[in-house]
Amino acid sequence: MKTRAAVAHPLSALRSGADIAKPILRREPDYRRDATVRAARRLNTASGTLALSVLLDSALEHYRGSFKNPAMVTPLIVSALTLGVSAHGTADRRPAAHRMREIVYGAGALAGLAGFLFHSYNVLKRPGRVAWQNFFYGAPIGAPWAILLSGLLGSASERVRDNKPGRARVLGLRAGRAMAAVSGIGLLGTAGEAGLLHFRGAYHDPFMFAPVTIPPAGGLLLLREAARSGMRERRLARVGMRVVAALGLIGVGFHAFGVQRNMGGWRNWSQNILNGPPLPAPPSFTGLALAGLASLRLLEEHGDA
Amino acid sequence: MVTVRGINGRAPDVFRPGAWVPMREYSESEPVDFLIIGTGAGGGTLACRLAEAGFSVIGLDAGPWFRPLEDFASDEAEQTKLYWTDDRITAGENPVQLGSNNSGRAVGGSTVHFAMVSLRFRPEWFKSRTWLGYGADWPIDWREMWHYYREVEEALKIAGPLQYPWGPPRPRYPYRAHELNAAALALAEGCEALGISWTETPIATLSAPRGLAPPCVYRGFCVTGCSTNAKQSALVTWIPRAVAAGAEIRDHAMAGRVEVDGNGRVTGVHYHRGGGWHFQKARNVVVAGYAIETPRLLLNSATDRYPAGLANSSGLVGKYFTVQSNQAVWGLSAKEIRAYKAPPSLALTEHWNYDDNKDFFGGYAYMSQGPLPQLWARTQADAHGLWGEALMREMENYNQQVGLKMVGEMMPQEGNRVTLDDATDQYGLRIPKVEYSWCDNDRAMIRHAMGFMRRALEAIDCREIWDQDNDTCHMNGTARMGDDPRTSVVNADCRTWDIPNLWICDGSVFPTVGGVNPSLTIQAIACRTADRIKALAARGEL
Repeated sequence: MKTRAAVAHPLSALRSGADIAKPILRREPDYRRDATVRAARRLNTASGTLALSVLLDSALEHYRGSFKNPAMVTPLIVSALTLGVSAHGTADRRPAAHRMREIVYGAGALAGLAGFLFHSYNVLKRPGRVAWQNFFYGAPIGAPWAILLSGLLGSASERVRDNKPGRARVLGLRAGRAMAAVSGIGLLGTAGEAGLLHFRGAYHDPFMFAPVTIPPAGGLLLLREAARSGMRERRLARVGMRVVAALGLIGVGFHAFGVQRNMGGWRNWSQNILNGPPLPAPPSFTGLALAGLASLRLLEEHGDA
Repeated sequence: MVTVRGINGRAPDVFRPGAWVPMREYSESEPVDFLIIGTGAGGGTLACRLAEAGFSVIGLDAGPWFRPLEDFASDEAEQTKLYWTDDRITAGENPVQLGSNNSGRAVGGSTVHFAMVSLRFRPEWFKSRTWLGYGADWPIDWREMWHYYREVEEALKIAGPLQYPWGPPRPRYPYRAHELNAAALALAEGCEALGISWTETPIATLSAPRGLAPPCVYRGFCVTGCSTNAKQSALVTWIPRAVAAGAEIRDHAMAGRVEVDGNGRVTGVHYHRGGGWHFQKARNVVVAGYAIETPRLLLNSATDRYPAGLANSSGLVGKYFTVQSNQAVWGLSAKEIRAYKAPPSLALTEHWNYDDNKDFFGGYAYMSQGPLPQLWARTQADAHGLWGEALMREMENYNQQVGLKMVGEMMPQEGNRVTLDDATDQYGLRIPKVEYSWCDNDRAMIRHAMGFMRRALEAIDCREIWDQDNDTCHMNGTARMGDDPRTSVVNADCRTWDIPNLWICDGSVFPTVGGVNPSLTIQAIACRTADRIKALAARGEL
């Protein structure tokens, strides 16, 4: 049940965008006090979406790599746990951090960092060292950042949730602005990863330019909002985030088409799902865009965010 | 054997099993603008470019028209159907091995089974006599060739490295390089240990989808015919374009004689198809049968007026037959290599093509290797006389085998030649006799390459290293181009000096062969020839 909640939520988050447009002043008195909890739950959802993307993507890619190194199960375990606690957090309306969630999110962030180091080592030990061949075909340097971001967003959600009424801070920083900045940078980084792999595919299909143009534009909009204080409408960035979130889901369709273009197409699914463009990768954008939306709503709803 | 397919106004669709595409048909009694004999790297490319320029074009090929998706098996013995195995006599001190990797008999020619290595010549090679002191100058400027190399690389969506370590800067390859297999990584490690550069091989198999062709699945049967169409052979690139542009390709059509009239102009070609001889009229004839069949046809077309064969006033038709040395060094790695996975030559070094600090002329590249099991068993049987249990035991090492193989520039020598023997083949045509002897420079280069490749294998801790010293590949040079009718057969436009409407467009026109695989250069020459023909036609000079 929890898993389903986490999966279903991205769509409802898109739908509920209309709510944000309601004038803030006409909302119920305790609306602002609850804003931190709502933001935390949305961040849980975002973290879970990212974790789901990581779980499926690392399962696929590490299965392809035959789990040659036992450590290759780490992202599967960590992202599965992250997915679980994110579902828990999404359902949890209490205004207090949860010990187990904090531990899992922290472990996720650490695993992401360790994965980055492992992947870097894998790339650099190959002949040619710092070479396009190795960035294309060695362990993807950018991929572990997704679980790192998932852990960061989750940890932040616990901090946001744990605030006293009237406050919305993460490590002393204004939570809305900090999360907008993290999500924006995450979008830029993830677009970089897509850019590298789509460059490997020589941008043979013009739609391959979508994830290297739209998410970075959205990321820049988020960074702009992160730099602007005050409870104000942030409509352009919100629209941008909804477009990016949708792109992440549409991307799965494009990648399914890409699988079809490999030898044997979907009839040869057992080979081509591993060989073709990764189906679970694009929803990383959705996860980050949901985090962006959560931070924008917090900014709009909370004077301390 | 596959039956005649390019007939009755349709051609096989190479991208769909059992399917057809419409094809224009020309009458034998009406002369076409260009009748091209051979549809490989030279003829296939030229047929496409001339048809797209609006000329009426017929391409003849002696071989069948395959649909790779349904006709190609993962079986080395079955796929020998791609080779030209008609009778030929091979002679000289170092007889050339014929009938497999250096011959093709199919629409698409030997590009159907080539190893897809698509390299540019070193610029200096186009003036090797002037700049490097050996061989002969080409009548074409290297910068012009680089323009046409670019066109061919785009047409074949070559997958290559982002930075090429040697020569002047070149534009980015259309597709990215493939992932290196273990055999290629072994080459890379050897080069790094010896302190020379290496790179991913620019290669004519897709690293991303293209139209109806999927990206390479690294099946490894490249040199026995790609059954997925990832290989960008003439069969799946130039030929479909040619047919779409109105060219007619006649498969199973063996040219026997080019007809010349009393005015010294060719009028058409006698060819054998469907059990009988036919005559196709043409305003221009292009011979593109590669370095043995091209001179053979010209010599077999001798008349009273041209008793030494067509286009042979220089006496050079069939002379300067020049192959590339293809020796290898093999060893056993401690690691599992499985070299047969993926295209065989994914990494290479051209270091010794660009380094002139050597005690011999010319240069060589060397590449990683991936012999298929049957070929490897035969190699072991030939080289070491292994048979029975001894051969079986040796084959247990197959997955650890690492090989480096050179493509080396042999010197053009007039004495290396293709002539006609008195024996005849199944069509009643005199068969070719191919004589080849190495010169001292050839031997010095091979010695240098073998020594260096051995050091490269030693540097990565291979054991049981041995030399395979008897292989040759890539035949060129039997109708060389030049600036002087006395010392060449064709001019820079591939037009014969003697007969203005007779052209030669294949590897035969190479005055020198360079130290890289010739297919990209043959196709570039064909593109240039098409542009020159367009220009000449516009000026009324055809």
